[in-house]
Parts: sequence; structure tokens; C-alpha cells
Amino acid sequence: MKMVRAQQLSYEYIKTVEKDGVTTEQKLQALKNVNISVEKGEFVAVLGHNGSGKSTFAKHINALLCPTGGTLWVKEMDTKNEELVWDIRQSAGMVFQNPDNQLVATVVEEDIAFGPENLGIESSEIRKRVDDALEQVRMTEFATFTPSKLSGGQKQRIAIAGVLAMKPDCIVLDEPTAMLDPIGRREVMETVHRLNREEGITIILITHYMDEAVRADRVYVIDDGDVVLNGTPKEVFSNVEALKGYGLDVPQVTEVAYLLRREGIPIPADILTVEEMVGALCQLRSTI
Amino acid sequence: MIRDITIGQYYPVASPIHRLDARVKLAITFIYIVTLFFVDSFIGYFFVMLSLGAVIASSKVPLRFMLRGIKSIMVIIVFTMIINLFTTKGETLLLEIGFLRITWEGVAVALKMSIRLVFLIVGSSVLTLTTTPIHLTDGIESILKPFSKIGVPSHEIAMMMTIALRFIPTLLDETDKIMKAQQARGADFDTGTLKEKAQSLIPILVPLFISAFRRAEELATAMEARCYHGGENRTRMHVVSIGRRDFVAFAVTAVYVCIIFLLRHAAEIVPFWI
Repeated sequence: MKMVRAQQLSYEYIKTVEKDGVTTEQKLQALKNVNISVEKGEFVAVLGHNGSGKSTFAKHINALLCPTGGTLWVKEMDTKNEELVWDIRQSAGMVFQNPDNQLVATVVEEDIAFGPENLGIESSEIRKRVDDALEQVRMTEFATFTPSKLSGGQKQRIAIAGVLAMKPDCIVLDEPTAMLDPIGRREVMETVHRLNREEGITIILITHYMDEAVRADRVYVIDDGDVVLNGTPKEVFSNVEALKGYGLDVPQVTEVAYLLRREGIPIPADILTVEEMVGALCQLRSTI
Repeated sequence: MIRDITIGQYYPVASPIHRLDARVKLAITFIYIVTLFFVDSFIGYFFVMLSLGAVIASSKVPLRFMLRGIKSIMVIIVFTMIINLFTTKGETLLLEIGFLRITWEGVAVALKMSIRLVFLIVGSSVLTLTTTPIHLTDGIESILKPFSKIGVPSHEIAMMMTIALRFIPTLLDETDKIMKAQQARGADFDTGTLKEKAQSLIPILVPLFISAFRRAEELATAMEARCYHGGENRTRMHVVSIGRRDFVAFAVTAVYVCIIFLLRHAAEIVPFWI
């Protein structure tokens, strides 16, 4: 069973533009016939620059937006079916960009309990889930803190715990690190990878940081509402020129490899990490 | 300076008063406020003072925290005192300056009124100092619940209070940031006439409101994503329950109310100035 499957998914919206006192309506296509499928337990990164439609796609998985064309299934549940909305939101939790604007309660544990409380779960079970979720994001000692006293990275981990307490199969993270400092980014990414590895939770990470996409199982690149590239990180990032055309960067080492190749140095194009680069360069030296 | 503002003045210590159920504390505070208006003798007020003192002592909150609230209503107290002093009609004249007459009865009424106000404020401070904002909102939600049948949105009121409490520090931070950004570009908030000062607030309030609306929208989306659909079929992690301690508190309150009414009748047979 596919975790998430999008078939010919399109989303149109009408934007009103006011110019010289005349309002005109413009039809804009945020998503054009997007086909994406995510297996259970996979770690998928969706890349795209600002306004590419990647966040619009993320909101479809959580049934926050309803497709205007095509279909999206979460665990074979059609997101257009209004009766399934709560099941879909429980199965595919969502973490947003701004850590401040997604925490509801004044105490960490109360906030984590918010999701299960909405699902109508018994209070002793909620207590257990909250403790487990806090443990999973390594924030147990902060249970009774107030969110405004936490750092950005810690707040994002609380937001993740809040989703975990709903026992989802899949977590969609919409640029979770965009507002964080490097330490916070690392904390969040480590947490997300650990959840994927240890709990088998499917992760869909929407991002524009290439470094975060490197460790994914599969990468989709969205540009102007269209999936333009997809494959393993190695396959995707070896298309340096294409990526630059979509307004995206490649990881720094991949860029170096690309420049070296352009100078005629025989080095693999799909280098993603410093270690790989070191290996490739050493090999090159021994052949000379 | 903006960080000094604190909302919800909870004082965290472990005391029997802190451990009482928030609903019980709300109810007792309500009873206390109502009975305060039945006290009309100095003996009565002396008894209220003793009882309040006992409660404060057992709450383990330092007295100065309790008295802090009085400072903010000092103006009102003085104002009530002056009004009562001059307008009360009485028999025994104390002082007469032109058309102003001060009588012994006036002095007594003025004193009683200000004592009543002080007790009112200190009494409600006991509630807010010993109850966390969460417990307070939970308590209010649970007390209002029976009224939801006649259209009182009990869950929504509690939810709004929770969100307001959650966002007060966030918006304070934001105000601070906006003010600094404006000051960096030469804005001046401290000098000038009152009108100029008021005008200089506009460039702070406009961005603050815009950002608050944006936050509200994002929060609404995030809440929806976490399956929020109002109070229907919603459970709570913390289930409030009334225990033995709360019954004791009610029993003590009942005795207190009885004594207040006994003293009221006692006042009928002793002179007004006691």
C-alpha cells in the first residue's frame, strides 16, 4: 500500500489583482498534473524554490486544500472525501514552518496533548502518548515548560511531538527549519531521521535546503507547479545545470565536483558528501 | 522594559490552597465576594480580616504579593473614600467647612467602603496567585459547561483564553522588536506632547496587528491540521476531580458565611461605630 499517492494532481486558485482601481481576476495554477508516490517508511524530500507550489502540495496531503483536478490518496483514502478528513489528518500529521504559530497551549505537555484530545482519546491513554512523544523527541525534561521559554529548534521538536502523539503513519514537514539557527536545524533533522529509522514513520520533507535532501531516500523537484526531476539524491543532484535552472542550489561538494568535471578532471558527478569527495580525490591521485 | 509586564501572576509554591480544585476556588471566591457586601460592622470586617489572614498564611504566598494589587486601585479607593466622606448624611457633626459637612457617620462609611474594596482585591488575588492560568481556564470551562445548552460557548471561551495567554509573550516580544526597529530608524517614543507620543504608537500598532492576524491564520491552519473541530467529542488529558480537600474547603466556607450573617445581626444591637 502506498502511503501517499498523487495522480494528475492539480490545484487552481483565483487571485484578484488591483491595478489603477480596476480589479481583475487571474487564474493561477499552483500545481499542474503532479504525480508523486511515496512508499510506507520512505523518507522523501520535495525541493523547490519559493512559489514553486511545494507548500501547496504539502497542504493537499493533510486535506487542508482540496484538489481542483486529479486525486490524492493518503493510505488509499481519497482526500476529496469529506468524511475521511479526520482519519487523513490523523494518519498524515503536519509540521509547519513557524514554530511560534503552531503551538496552542501555554505548557509543553498540554500542547502535545492537543491532538489526541481532539481525537477524543481517553485521558490515561493521552498521558501515556504525551510521555512517549516527549521521549521520542528527547524533550522529557521540558514537559512543564512554557513554549515561549524554548528555543526555535526545541519548539519545532515539540510541534513534532504534538503530531507523534496522534500516532500518525506519515509526517509532512513544510520547511520546518527555515526559521531556525544551525543548531536548531540539526536538532530537528536528527529527530526526523531518527523517527524515520527507528519508528518507521514515513517522512515527507518540504525544503529548499539541499543539504537536508541529501539524506532522503528519494527526491522530487517541483518547479512552477510541476514535478521536473525525481529520483535518488544522487540521480537528482548530478543534474547540476538543470537544478540551477530551477533556481535551486546543489550541495556544496556536488558543486565542486561539477566544476572539476567541467575542467576535465574525471570525477563522479553524483558526489554528495565530503567523505565521498575525499574518497574520489584519493582514488584519482592513486591513478595518476 | 516591556518584558516587565506579567499576565497571570501565579506564585508557584506547594500549599493546601494551591492544591484545591480551580472550580472550588472560583466558587469560594465568588461566595466570598458576595458575602463581603453583607458585612456592615467593624467587628465583621475584623472577622473577615482574620479569615483572609488565615487563608493567606496557609497559601504560603508572601503578603506583599497579595497587597500588590491594591496599589493599582489606590486611586479608586481614595476617590470612593472622599465621595463617601462628604456625601453621607449624618447626625453627629465632626467638621464643617463652608458647604462641606463631615460627620462621624461619613467617616465610618468611608472607612468601611475602602476596607471592603481592599478585601475584595486581596481576596481575588488569592485566587489568581494560587491557581495557574491553565487550571483557571479549565475551571471556567467546566463551570460554564452546563450553560452551553442555552448557548454559552464554554469551550470556545476557554480556548480563546488559552490562546490569548499563549500569545501574550510572543506578541510582547514582537512589539519589542518592532519598537527597536523603529528606534533604529530614528523613531522617538519618549519625548513630545501626549498627542505626539500617541501618534508615534501608530507605526508600532499597525505592523503588530498585521502580524497578529497572520499568526492567527497560521495557527488556525495548524489547529485544523491537528484535527481540531471545536469542543464536541473532545477529551482532556487532565481530568479535574473534586477530592476530600475540596469538601473541607467548602465546609470552612459554610462556617465562614454563617458567622458573617450572625455578626450582621449582632450589628443591629450594637452602635454603628463598632
